[in-house]
Amino acid sequence: MLRLLTLIIFLTTLFFTLYLKSKKSLSLSLSLSLSLSLSLSLSLSPLSLFSLSLSLSLSLSLSLSLSLSLVTLIVAPEMVLMENYERINKAWEVITNVLIPSSLGSQATQLTEDEEIKFQEAVEIMHESQLTRIIEDWFIECVQKEMQNVVVPKFWDYFHGDCRAGILFKNSLKETITTHCKAMLFTARDRKIYKATEDFYMKAFKVYQNDQGDEDLDESINTERCAGCEEKQDKCKCTEFMQTFHTINRKLDKLNLLSKVAGSCITTIVHRTTKQHIEYTCRGNVETSFLESLEKWLDKKVLGWLDLVWCSDQMSPTQLQSLKEFKDTLRQYMYENYARTLIDQLFSIIIDYPESEPAILDLKSCLMKTDLRSHLVVSLKDALESRLLHPGVNTSNILAAYISAIRALRVLDPAGVILELVCEPVQKYLRGRDNTVRCIVSSLTEEGVNELSDELIRGLPHIVDDNTASDDENEDWNKWVPDPVDADPASMSKLRRTSDIISMLVNIYGSKELFVNEYRNLLADRILSQFNYDTEREIRYLELLKLRFGEAQLHYCEVMLKDVTDSRRINSIIKENKKKEEPEREDDEDIEINSMILSAQFWPTFREEKLNLPDSMQRCLENYTKKFESLKGNRTLIWKPHLGLVNIDIELKERTLNLNVSPVHAAIIMQFQNKDQWTVEELSGVLQIPATALRRKIAYWQSQGLLKEEATDTFILVEEQRANSDDIMLADEEETESAMASMRAQLDEQMQVFWTYIVGMLTNLESLPIERIHSMLRMFAVQGPSTVECSIGELKAFLDKKVKEQKLIYSSGVYRLSRNN
Amino acid sequence: MASQNRDPTASATTRKEPTNTTAKDNHSVSKRLQQELMVLLSSQDNRVSAFPDGDNLFRWIGTIEGAPGTVYDGLRFKLVLQFPSGYPYQAPTVKFDTGCFHPNVDERGNICLDILKEKWSALYDVRTILLSIQSLLGEPNNDSPLNSYAAELWADQEAYKKYLHEHYAKNNKKKL
Repeated sequence: MLRLLTLIIFLTTLFFTLYLKSKKSLSLSLSLSLSLSLSLSLSLSPLSLFSLSLSLSLSLSLSLSLSLSLVTLIVAPEMVLMENYERINKAWEVITNVLIPSSLGSQATQLTEDEEIKFQEAVEIMHESQLTRIIEDWFIECVQKEMQNVVVPKFWDYFHGDCRAGILFKNSLKETITTHCKAMLFTARDRKIYKATEDFYMKAFKVYQNDQGDEDLDESINTERCAGCEEKQDKCKCTEFMQTFHTINRKLDKLNLLSKVAGSCITTIVHRTTKQHIEYTCRGNVETSFLESLEKWLDKKVLGWLDLVWCSDQMSPTQLQSLKEFKDTLRQYMYENYARTLIDQLFSIIIDYPESEPAILDLKSCLMKTDLRSHLVVSLKDALESRLLHPGVNTSNILAAYISAIRALRVLDPAGVILELVCEPVQKYLRGRDNTVRCIVSSLTEEGVNELSDELIRGLPHIVDDNTASDDENEDWNKWVPDPVDADPASMSKLRRTSDIISMLVNIYGSKELFVNEYRNLLADRILSQFNYDTEREIRYLELLKLRFGEAQLHYCEVMLKDVTDSRRINSIIKENKKKEEPEREDDEDIEINSMILSAQFWPTFREEKLNLPDSMQRCLENYTKKFESLKGNRTLIWKPHLGLVNIDIELKERTLNLNVSPVHAAIIMQFQNKDQWTVEELSGVLQIPATALRRKIAYWQSQGLLKEEATDTFILVEEQRANSDDIMLADEEETESAMASMRAQLDEQMQVFWTYIVGMLTNLESLPIERIHSMLRMFAVQGPSTVECSIGELKAFLDKKVKEQKLIYSSGVYRLSRNN
Repeated sequence: MASQNRDPTASATTRKEPTNTTAKDNHSVSKRLQQELMVLLSSQDNRVSAFPDGDNLFRWIGTIEGAPGTVYDGLRFKLVLQFPSGYPYQAPTVKFDTGCFHPNVDERGNICLDILKEKWSALYDVRTILLSIQSLLGEPNNDSPLNSYAAELWADQEAYKKYLHEHYAKNNKKKL
């Protein structure tokens, strides 16, 4: 009981100190005394209830309530100068008489009115003399004595009568009361006290930080003031403060109240600081590893402070254990926060890879310690979708991001599961873009644009399989690591682990055929637009690709390149023969021709375009064909006049232009040799080009200032160049068209074929579900090497389009032809 | 029409023996059937059509419409074509799946048509067979009828048409 009371009193003083300290620094004007008395009386009420049952209570509660009113009285007013000694003496006597617990020992005696006034006056006097503290101390002393001498023995005597109860209660009662006391004390705790405590600890933390020499703190703000206590440097009170801080902590600890009072404050402070620190140091910088410095910071600044608060060197093993656990939680908290910060920036980290590798490695080790994998997957997926997968981003940019994502995530998660989960929408999206393959293939074969071509050169020569992985387990079983839990059990772990960037890209479509086809188109374009017979570089790439895709796939391309070398040979032979046969013939009719001889079977489908060449050109081509035929026996040439390059000299009145143009352009301008004025229809008739296409081609000559549209659809040749001519149309340089039929066109053609099959099926078999249609198409309609594959999804889109066009009816899972066709 | 056929009759009758059917031949038969399917579908003739029934390339379902100007105009008939492994050197078996009232078609759908029997030639293909059957509808051979009532009724086109449509509606209630 005595201990209990001292405890309460201790607490009072403690709060006082606490309050005063905080008031000093934080100018909190709360009337702590009031709330204190409140909390005291509240905390005592259960106690008094308890003692009532022990019939001890009245004296105690009365004395205490009296003491409370005293405290209230004491603290309130301002102080005045000292009065004479006698007055004080008298007042002291009055007060002590009233307050002396012994006088209250026998039942509660109500003070008379007279006594009451006297007492009030005495208090006033004491207060004016600034002696309230002495009264307080004396009173406490008295209470203590009284408790010790009277209350406690009586209290324990009570139990002597009943031994069983004594055994049961003697040890735990003290604790029970303590707990009760604490519980009541803290349920009634004021928010403001909480705030005060928090501020107090925050300040202590700051001081400690300052002590530890925090280089990170912004010195410029507080140059004149001490960073810790915010006082002027010369009046720094850090040391005093720390001392008080220490004392309070010790006292709280003694009362077993430290965790109760300060625990949550400390946690809040430490969490907040950690978060701020991470935010302040790490955000935006992905090129350095922070994990180690963060750990150091936490150890030195935060955990050190905790040691100070709990005074770890004087702790019992159990306490040490719990402190250690608390520290571990904090460490965990730091990892988690750091990981979250990194995950928030993961998209930019990925884009910056490989510069951001330190951040990735940090994240990797944080992920091992925390449970944020799924958060990472979700947030990265979101980031990718909102920042990458929309029409505003170039395919090449998406690809670049995808490639760095592959690389970065492979470092982060060697099993490749995160990659698989996160990049699935990217793959899906890329599949929907029609220039994806072209982008990939061209970046594969273009030097210096991005690292894909390096990857091709560097990459291990392993064959790209169409989603099939070999089952042989040749890896070291000692180093085997199971797949993470979020891995898709359906897909092969080995495939995930080993596939490299190029196969990842190829697998966007799930077929290498598509790639090879696209490469073939690209190669054809390049060969046909270069107009020289230099194939060295192409051969090099072809060899590299062969390592990946296998010989068989690239056989066509090989033939194409061989065609080029053959063409060069044949071309030079024909030219030499010509020189021998007709050495001196030099007239207008003779045009030097270089040909590229392509084996029709092996080249991709060409874009068809009709063009009637001028007679002179045509004759030369025929001559060439004849020579070829004589050289090659039973083979002939079919010219593709729209593909090619013509070097022409245009002699005008005052100038000569030398230009490299397409045969169509040349043919147009040559028509103006004979006649100065042509209408579009006339030209279109002569050249066999549709009028719209012709107009586009004429635009080129308009931009060159050679032709002029005199009247609608009528063009004349401009012989003399006039400066600042408004007529010159600055046409944009025409986009160089691919010589090959576009992917889209090929696909449309294929779909048209499929459509006739589908009509056939549905006419005869009435109605079919999409799976049947798909499998039948595969069985009966897909033939030959270059047919475009049609996935069930594509087929569905196609059929739905037909449903919209009212050619099909879709009901209860099956398609049927609509009646009216 | 017969020009669609690649093999000349001569080679079919002299060099190859129609009865000799091996697995190796099977492949060439499927190739030929697939080719025929492609030709048929790309001919864009929507009065005759056929398609393999399910996964079996040797059994096709055919559809023909009655030629305009005949009593069969506006009626659709389904046929089943069964190809032997000796095809095209052996004639396919063709039957009406839809009940068809016709002098040369019996109740079970068997068709009496010379080119499906003794006059079969490897030059014929699915398309020509279907076209022949389509023209047979309008021009029956009443000399050797399988359905004598139909042959008798043929002379009276009005009555024939009435009976035909009743018969068609009765027999194909389910299917159409």
